[in-house]
Amino acid sequence: MANFRRFRPDDLNKLSKCNLDPLTETYELSFYLQYYAKWPSLFQVAEDQHGNIIGYIMGKLESSPDVYQFSEHYLPWHAHITAVTVAPEARRLGIGKLLTEQLEVAADANDAWFVDLFVRSTNHKAITFYKSMGYSIYRVVKDYYGDHSSDPTKDSEDAYDMRKPMKRDVKKEHIREDGKKHEVDPSDVW
Amino acid sequence: MPSYSRYGRPALKNSVDVQLQTAFSDGNWPSVIRLADKRAKSLKDPYYEAIKIAAESQLDSAAEQCAVLVAIDELIRQKTVPDLDTIDLYEWATQDLLADLEYAETLGPLRARWVKANPKSPLAVQCLQSCLEYWDLVSAQQIAATLDKTYLNSGDRRYMFWSIILTFLLSISPQCTEASRKVYSMLVLRQLERAADTTESSEKLSSTDRGLLTEEECYLYYRVLLKHGTRDDFVSRMQSQRLGALAQLKEKRKPLFWEALDAFESWGEWDRIYDLCNQALSLSADGGKPSFFACDWQVWKRFAVAASKATDQEAALGQVQDVLKKFTAETASTNAMYKKNIRLALVETTFQLPPVLLNANPDHGGMTPRVVQLGLFLEQYFDRLAAFDDIKGYVAQLSFEEAKCFLEKVLPNILGEDTDPIRQIILKSLECKLRYLLTTCPQTLSHYPSVVDGKEQDKDYRCRFCSNLTNLPCEHCLKKIIAAAADVYKQVATDKKLIEAIPKLDKDPRIDLAIVMALSLLKLSGLRQTLSDVPAASALRDVNPSLFLQAVALLDMQLRETPGDTGLRLLLVQLHLLLGCASYAHQLWIPMDVKRTIQDALSPLFFDRISSISPGLFQGSRPLMEPLRSYYSNCMRDNSPLRIWDAFSSGSYSSILDMAEYDSRLRRSCTLMMTLVEERRATRSFGGKIECDIEDHVLVSHITGDTTLVNATDYGSFPNLESHHGAPVQDLVRFGPAISNERSHLAFLSEQYLDLILFKYPKDYKLSRANEVAIKDRNYVMETLSHISSSLTDFIHSSKTPQGLTGPEMTYYTVLSLLSAGLLTALTTSRADPLPKTFSLLTSSIKSAFGGLRTTFLTPIPSSSPLSPQSEAFYALTDMHTMSYVRDTALAIRHSAAFVIAFHEKELARDRSGRSSLHKDVIAEMKALDGVASKALGEVKARIQRLKEQLGEGGWLDRMLEWTFGREEDEVSKAVSQVVPTEAVEEWIGKVLESWREGVKGWGMVRME
Ligand SMILES: CC(C)(COP(=O)(O)OP(=O)(O)OC[C@H]1O[C@@H](n2cnc3c(N)ncnc32)[C@H](O)[C@@H]1OP(=O)(O)O)[C@@H](O)C(=O)NCCC(=O)NCCS
Repeated sequence: MANFRRFRPDDLNKLSKCNLDPLTETYELSFYLQYYAKWPSLFQVAEDQHGNIIGYIMGKLESSPDVYQFSEHYLPWHAHITAVTVAPEARRLGIGKLLTEQLEVAADANDAWFVDLFVRSTNHKAITFYKSMGYSIYRVVKDYYGDHSSDPTKDSEDAYDMRKPMKRDVKKEHIREDGKKHEVDPSDVW
Repeated sequence: MPSYSRYGRPALKNSVDVQLQTAFSDGNWPSVIRLADKRAKSLKDPYYEAIKIAAESQLDSAAEQCAVLVAIDELIRQKTVPDLDTIDLYEWATQDLLADLEYAETLGPLRARWVKANPKSPLAVQCLQSCLEYWDLVSAQQIAATLDKTYLNSGDRRYMFWSIILTFLLSISPQCTEASRKVYSMLVLRQLERAADTTESSEKLSSTDRGLLTEEECYLYYRVLLKHGTRDDFVSRMQSQRLGALAQLKEKRKPLFWEALDAFESWGEWDRIYDLCNQALSLSADGGKPSFFACDWQVWKRFAVAASKATDQEAALGQVQDVLKKFTAETASTNAMYKKNIRLALVETTFQLPPVLLNANPDHGGMTPRVVQLGLFLEQYFDRLAAFDDIKGYVAQLSFEEAKCFLEKVLPNILGEDTDPIRQIILKSLECKLRYLLTTCPQTLSHYPSVVDGKEQDKDYRCRFCSNLTNLPCEHCLKKIIAAAADVYKQVATDKKLIEAIPKLDKDPRIDLAIVMALSLLKLSGLRQTLSDVPAASALRDVNPSLFLQAVALLDMQLRETPGDTGLRLLLVQLHLLLGCASYAHQLWIPMDVKRTIQDALSPLFFDRISSISPGLFQGSRPLMEPLRSYYSNCMRDNSPLRIWDAFSSGSYSSILDMAEYDSRLRRSCTLMMTLVEERRATRSFGGKIECDIEDHVLVSHITGDTTLVNATDYGSFPNLESHHGAPVQDLVRFGPAISNERSHLAFLSEQYLDLILFKYPKDYKLSRANEVAIKDRNYVMETLSHISSSLTDFIHSSKTPQGLTGPEMTYYTVLSLLSAGLLTALTTSRADPLPKTFSLLTSSIKSAFGGLRTTFLTPIPSSSPLSPQSEAFYALTDMHTMSYVRDTALAIRHSAAFVIAFHEKELARDRSGRSSLHKDVIAEMKALDGVASKALGEVKARIQRLKEQLGEGGWLDRMLEWTFGREEDEVSKAVSQVVPTEAVEEWIGKVLESWREGVKGWGMVRME
């Protein structure tokens, strides 16, 4: 059973089903609240019948800072998925997909060119998940993560920057087929 | 942004010369003072004087620091418009002094005054921001109102809504005087109603109109209507074609629709809920298909419940089913979650049907439509992890006949022809869980007369499943569940193919089987919720230890197999705390990585009462609770809610309201109080230095006796197989009652009491005018004591208190309240006066309360224990909490006695005549109490010593094995040992022993003075 609704701060006391899972990162309070303050409609949750949060998505709308206008890495107005997670017991029920679709609707409503996100290159489940919804790899950010999720001998891991074009991108200018071949440094992304 | 950040230095005016600028940015204060002084004299510009004063505030001496306060005071009194740069300087200069300087009475009004004079300045917004940072709502509201007036119809809608929301925040804030509250409430309501009317009456709204346009604006309107408007008004405004809940839902604004549903439900307006849900669920999407936008579980549930309350129930429920049918026809492309919601809504609707409509045919046994629906649901979802949770509430409502039919006729047929072994296992595991659930439902038992044929019966019920006489829950059924789960478990464990298939599953089925077995064992062991009506804290005193130990051993083995399962881990943490194995519980706790934001809700699961179970844990290299403390420090550094300005600048008005509420709740968190109290108790145990009086601690200095402290513990991840008829699992396995407002206040007050009686002037502190100081001290002591005493008494007698404390806690707080009252009498009765009778009454109450605790402590083995005589150690180790409170109570008594005697001696020294010294009976009584307390401390010391010796002896492994499995095997222990190999039990015993030893070692370092 689930309800889909906007996040509200009280939900932070009901995160255990999602956040005690090692794949889900817990942030500082100000981080969650920043998203809630600036983009409340892009912070959505799924709750079960007891009010436990069994999934959430946290996103933002932005473009790169103006000073990078002329950089090749400049990102035009777009939506970004900062976190999406579903509690282990509620996976494969379409919750992740619904949450992401809602964010895409908001992205379209706000005239974004695309939705993008970073995912660990070894997080195959999540990559499959995004691909199933039409996201593709746009570029590889080398050593984006300061640790490795599965191999303790490594101290870094690449990220895939994945994207899905929105309605505004009629000509599909903001995606590319050979994204895996485009490698960039963490300093090139915002 | 202002020209400085809150914690950084402000920039000086550009006109200031380089030399002074450099000195200022270098923080070279003596230079700044000298240069600014010179400039002030030569240029006659008061700004330089301000620079000088601000620089002086950075010096150490109190007099120089105060200059800035005087300067601010001067500005306020002048009634002229202040210079903004000067205010910036002063705000920066006073940031550490702010406790002494109420922003809302000083800098806030100065900023508001400045904005009034310079409404068009771009810096006005910075002034608003500053006031918000200090959460000075009065000044912020004034500034916002000025801005709104200035930019009327400008197209920037924020000014209007800042003004509205600040008026609203003020109207619900303690900062508002009662007189103004009414005015502001009306004002904000009228403003929004006017805005709503503008929207209603104009075809199309432009951004310069003062109507409601965005979702956030409408949200604010709903919230204010709900808070300050009348119910009728809200209801009628909800019908609007523009701003009503349904109209807003059509614009994809779901939060507003929910807000209306919540409000209607709180008023019991079920007809309206029915209409609203009906309309919402009948909205269609593109192409005439039903829209899933409102297809949330809550909407379906409310729709069905509302239909069941309708006058024409049958028609209404029929309509629900019609709507449902439209959705079920659309299955192909429907998201799986919506499909499930719809399926469950069918179940819900059936459960809402009144008995007459259920057509239960007596010939069909229990095969009612309800049972059929559950079966249909399970056919699709039985192998999903959430299946049990989804149907649990419904199964618990089934009548006995239905339940029996469900278990015996429906469940076995779920798989039909499917012989897939893994699915078989999953179904069997679900069946075990459902059977367990039903043992917690009263309809499966029938009352049995207490006297039969003239003979007294000790069993109150007959189980309708197995026909045995039983108590609640049915032991026979529990034993059968254990055996059945063990069989399935063994089947998995011995089948290579099944084992190989497990990694591909969502969850290892053995986890649930182990949990069902363990919970059944715990129930059989007699584990109950511990409340303060039992004198000892230990939940284990009255349980069958073997069954309890088997449960823990089993779960521990399972966790080693499946370390990623959080529910299992949480249970084990709790159970090991009950066992007194705190260090092992901590090892189990750490991998969950409870950090940052989730600490407030989850930390009590490990840290509550930890200092009383195992103070030694605090002796590690990293301060045990540091992450918690720094979490709160970070979140509460400013008076304002974190990130609130972000919400203002983004126009997220509903976020502002919720963030303010969350912030206020966080500042009143029981977990926060627990953090400070546990740390202080541990620190004192080892003779460490406590940084400040608890009342002065920045994190709790705002908490008064009237503050309601909030428990927000999150138990969501506990495996909960209990029905709503009994306590949830966490109440069973938690070490004593959960944190609560009452317990937090008692803890807070008890720390204040100790702060008072343990206060000592620093050794090198020179008292000038000793006599005057002594009188002041005396007055302070009396005032504080009388406050603490009356508050302690109030909280002790609050009706909720007993259910929130363990027995030893009850004694401790009772004794403290008696001591504080006793001290008050003692210190106010001089030698010459007759000693009020209450005094001896108080001391004898102390003796008897403390005596009761000591007796419990000294007779660790309950008479009913089946364990061997050496089991004394077992009971002692599992109840260190009682020992801890014997120590704490004894020390509180001793310190109180010492305080009284010191007071007496001081008075003697001051006034040699002896007239102001204390009554001799007081001294004698206090000495007697001290004697009792010392003796108890000796007993505690002896206990620790004895435990150390006992744990050092050999034979523990065998003893524990015997305690766990009993001397002879019965059906239960046989089933358990089929599942848990002996090596696993031995490995676990090793951990338990090690943890007990570590705990006792820690206790060995605890000071007894
Ligand atoms: C990634 C995650 C959010 C997916 O959530 P979810 O609710 O289970 O996903 P959905 O049910 O909506 O799946 C939609 C589709 O994605 C694909 N998919 C999702 N999980 C998959 C998995 N484990 N394996 C293969 N495909 C998968 C499928 O195509 C699925 O459609 P289907 O079920 O009809 O086949 C969830 O697995 C999760 O929380 N993981 C941990 C946190 C995480 O990694 N977040 C991503 C960080 S960038």
